Amino acid sequence: MIARRLFTLALGTLLAAPVLGAVPKEAPDITLTAVSGKPIRMADLKGHVVLLDFWASWCIPCRRSFPEVDALNRELQPKGLTVIAVNVDEQQKNAYTFLEQYPHTMTVAFDTKGAAAQAFDLQAMPSSMILDRHGRIRFTHEGYTDKTIAQFRSEVLQLMGEAE
Amino acid sequence: MMALRTRLMVALTLVGAGLLATGCATVQPWQRGLLADSCMVFDANNSAAYMTHWQESREGSMGGFGVQGGGCGCK
Repeated sequence: MIARRLFTLALGTLLAAPVLGAVPKEAPDITLTAVSGKPIRMADLKGHVVLLDFWASWCIPCRRSFPEVDALNRELQPKGLTVIAVNVDEQQKNAYTFLEQYPHTMTVAFDTKGAAAQAFDLQAMPSSMILDRHGRIRFTHEGYTDKTIAQFRSEVLQLMGEAE
Repeated sequence: MMALRTRLMVALTLVGAGLLATGCATVQPWQRGLLADSCMVFDANNSAAYMTHWQESREGSMGGFGVQGGGCGCK
């Protein structure tokens, strides 16, 4: 009887570990440079739900994701979402050519040296992170599919619904 | 004069160092701009596939370059 209870407890702990152990990680306190030249410090974004979208002009899926992330920005910015599209092109002129082709309203920042990409430990392009109001990375997405934007919307709304 | 054994050790060390110090580096996902350039594709305009098809059909040598597929015989 005791052995059975111990087995159930051990099994329960084992199954719950991934969920209980998933403590949100604090976003690295880096400073990005917006296209306008204005510095954007991650720590200053606390209090906002933030969608960080890493993109590059050479990244084929980014040609689809960029305008759709911008549309999400237009939709949810009035509700308090902050979207920052972080460009990782080593040659900024390529990013500017891309930006001319894709008009946008969201904030675009440069990470020419890849410092932010490294700090956020990017594993794929494009990659996106959704940060809660406390500056913690709550959701990470790698790549882009037809379902990604719907997931972004759902996760952002979930974080907006959380108590401050 | 260096003993033969010492020379051998030095040679092995140099060869080992050479092997370890080769230019292997991990290209991070955000650094793949140059690799993603179309000029980096071996056959960007797919001319090799066309040439193979052309050559096979002209010379009646289908299969000479290998056959794709799961055994249905179609290509």
